[in-house]
Amino acid sequence: MNMVVFVLLALLAIVGAFGVILWKNAIYSALSLVGTLLSLACIFVTLEAQFLASVQVIVYAGAIMVLFLFVIMLLNAQYPSDEVDPLEWVAPAAIAGGIVLAGAIAYTAFLFKAPKPLEEAAKALQGGTPGPVGETLFTKFLLPFEAVSLLLIVAVVGAVALVKREPEGKQVRETLEERATHTPEEVVA
Amino acid sequence: MVETSYYIALAGILFSIGAVGFLMRRSVIQMFLCVELMLNSANLVLVAFARAWGNLEAQTAVFIILTLAAAEVAIGLAIIVAIFRKRVSTNVDELSSLKG
Repeated sequence: MNMVVFVLLALLAIVGAFGVILWKNAIYSALSLVGTLLSLACIFVTLEAQFLASVQVIVYAGAIMVLFLFVIMLLNAQYPSDEVDPLEWVAPAAIAGGIVLAGAIAYTAFLFKAPKPLEEAAKALQGGTPGPVGETLFTKFLLPFEAVSLLLIVAVVGAVALVKREPEGKQVRETLEERATHTPEEVVA
Repeated sequence: MVETSYYIALAGILFSIGAVGFLMRRSVIQMFLCVELMLNSANLVLVAFARAWGNLEAQTAVFIILTLAAAEVAIGLAIIVAIFRKRVSTNVDELSSLKG
């Protein structure tokens, strides 16, 4: 039963992932990624990570993908300009490399020996509910937590600074006081 | 319960698909989507190993990574918008010059 659920969710995730790289239209790609993220959220539930599953839906499938769709539609970038690949050998080489990489990781994965019985280990997670996760976050992960808050501030300021339009001709906007005392040429210099 | 190996294998497959897509697509936005896909497969590995060891720290690390991803996407998309304003293109082949 568990295996059936896993295989179904895994197939959904893989189909969504193929959608991301195969659609020509970027909006369809983004929506396929939403499908993959949602099935990953369901997989998180089967892995005793309930809090992460809900965060995955809210932050990833919700906020981040909405941001992506906003930018795609804002830039009108859903269609590729002209898909002329200057290096023809890249695509086949990438596909071959990808198959080798997937095979290597999958083979290595099955060499993994579980350190303890799964049932016993899963019990220690307490279902991955917000309580236990939050406790770890505010004790062992206090420094990363503070660092991330700093990072978010930097990211917000950086994003605003990056998309800020430069005034026409780099003209500095003068205050009323400056207008009274200077000529506009002086302000520009 | 499904063995950890299956989850790791799934994450490997998703990561490879993302990597192939990153190399094949020429649109900046689709390349960025592929990066997100690879990041998520890494998260899946962390959560799977968290269950294998019965350790909540990996799940907390995934939470931090999710926050990081949000910041990364905000900055990345801002850069794409800024480039688009200058060049009116999201094709990486037309963005090969570093000069502004």
